Amino acid sequence: MDLTYLQNITYPMLKGSLVTLSVFAITIIISIPLGFCFTLMARSRIRILNRIAEIYIYILRGTPLLLQLMVVYFGLPLIPGIGKYLVFERYNAACIAFALNYAAYFAEIFRSGLIAIDPGQYEATKVLGLTRFQTMIHVIIPQMIRVSLPTISNEAITLVKDTALVTVIGVTEILHYAKTAVNRDGDTFAFLVAAVIYLLINAVLTYIFKKLEKRYDF
Amino acid sequence: MKKRSILILMLVAAMAMLAFAGCGNSETSDTASDEAVSNDDGVFVIGLDDSFPPMGFRDEQNEIVGFDVDLAKEVAERMGMTFYAQPIDWDSKEQELNGDHIDCIWSGLTMTDERKESMTFSEPYLENNQIIVVKNDSDIKSLADLAGKKVGMQKGSSAYEAFNASAIKDDVDETVEFADNVSAFQDLNVGRIDAVIVDSIVARYYIQSQDAEFTVLDDSLSPEFYGVGFKKDNTELRDKVQAALDSMVEDGTTAKISEKWFGEDIYYKGE
Repeated sequence: MDLTYLQNITYPMLKGSLVTLSVFAITIIISIPLGFCFTLMARSRIRILNRIAEIYIYILRGTPLLLQLMVVYFGLPLIPGIGKYLVFERYNAACIAFALNYAAYFAEIFRSGLIAIDPGQYEATKVLGLTRFQTMIHVIIPQMIRVSLPTISNEAITLVKDTALVTVIGVTEILHYAKTAVNRDGDTFAFLVAAVIYLLINAVLTYIFKKLEKRYDF
Repeated sequence: MKKRSILILMLVAAMAMLAFAGCGNSETSDTASDEAVSNDDGVFVIGLDDSFPPMGFRDEQNEIVGFDVDLAKEVAERMGMTFYAQPIDWDSKEQELNGDHIDCIWSGLTMTDERKESMTFSEPYLENNQIIVVKNDSDIKSLADLAGKKVGMQKGSSAYEAFNASAIKDDVDETVEFADNVSAFQDLNVGRIDAVIVDSIVARYYIQSQDAEFTVLDDSLSPEFYGVGFKKDNTELRDKVQAALDSMVEDGTTAKISEKWFGEDIYYKGE
């Protein structure tokens, strides 16, 4: 294999990996807190909040992410009246769709984390005289994170691979550049390079989550 | 104490991610994924399939080049506008156009009757056939021989439309749709399909550049034309682009660009 050729096809893909990584980072930063909000809403005693969270999760989990990307980019601007305020640039539309979609999944992950906590813990904090807020911050959330971490790690790895979907609204990422190289040279080698880049990213992620799991192993 | 260190760790991780996000943003702003979209901002945004040699594709420096790109660049310059090439998903091209995300589709776009109803077209600029490509040792010699065979083509392409309009459609064993033409050629090469129906311009370029052991059958589906597609009733921009193209034909610029990509002047000047 010619080294210059390898360089030539790898450089655009590394550039594309910055898009992949930034979409990943923005999605994680927005969707985790947003997802937790929906978890709290789903568990709240106020019925209307329950319903909103349920419907949100149902819609966002129940339709393909690919479709949601297209709706955010192509569909929203067509809404009569408010449509003109919902015209997003390609990259921003991609981040919005990903954050909204992953928030639904994270909401369910956190909910399962909360269910796993023994009800006796709530009673214990009551005996200790902790307020509801203190209980949440010091007792419940750390345990919820510990229980959820393996699933979150799973979801994060899926997210890295899902970013390849953004090409449908014209955002160019790793796989898109691999495809252009394959179409130019008629040689599928570029796909192999793309696979290696994805594996490298996920190797780092796996390592980070392993460390985090150790941290939360109290 | 332990809890505080965890918090700090998470904060650092979040910062690192933000930093990533930041550099990702600034990086993309000068590549193809961010753009200012509007019809009247002095930027001429063409939407194209950037894996479609020789009409529009990425060279080894990752620049978008090609016959269409050279034409459009020159047109933009003559209109006094800044040129911008936006890679799009071919299946979404109509939405890209109708939502004003791009100004036109300039990407070896075949002027089918169906598309003429939903878009406003320039005059045709290239003549193109839908041809049948088989392996050198294939027993398929004519259009009729496709009966009982597996036939591949790009989904949403004019090859697909031409094939569906032809009588042979009902006789083939299976039609396989690919995201792009090169995938179809690769499948043909490994023998998963028996024939590919494709634009002659694309096929000739592929066979020539790859030294592929493919044969083009003498039979072809209906002859067609490439044109530039604009949003329905956007005749103002269409006329400006057409005027620029006409002036390029007159002073020999189109001939020069055609020779660069095809080795001869095949720019279509009408009957």
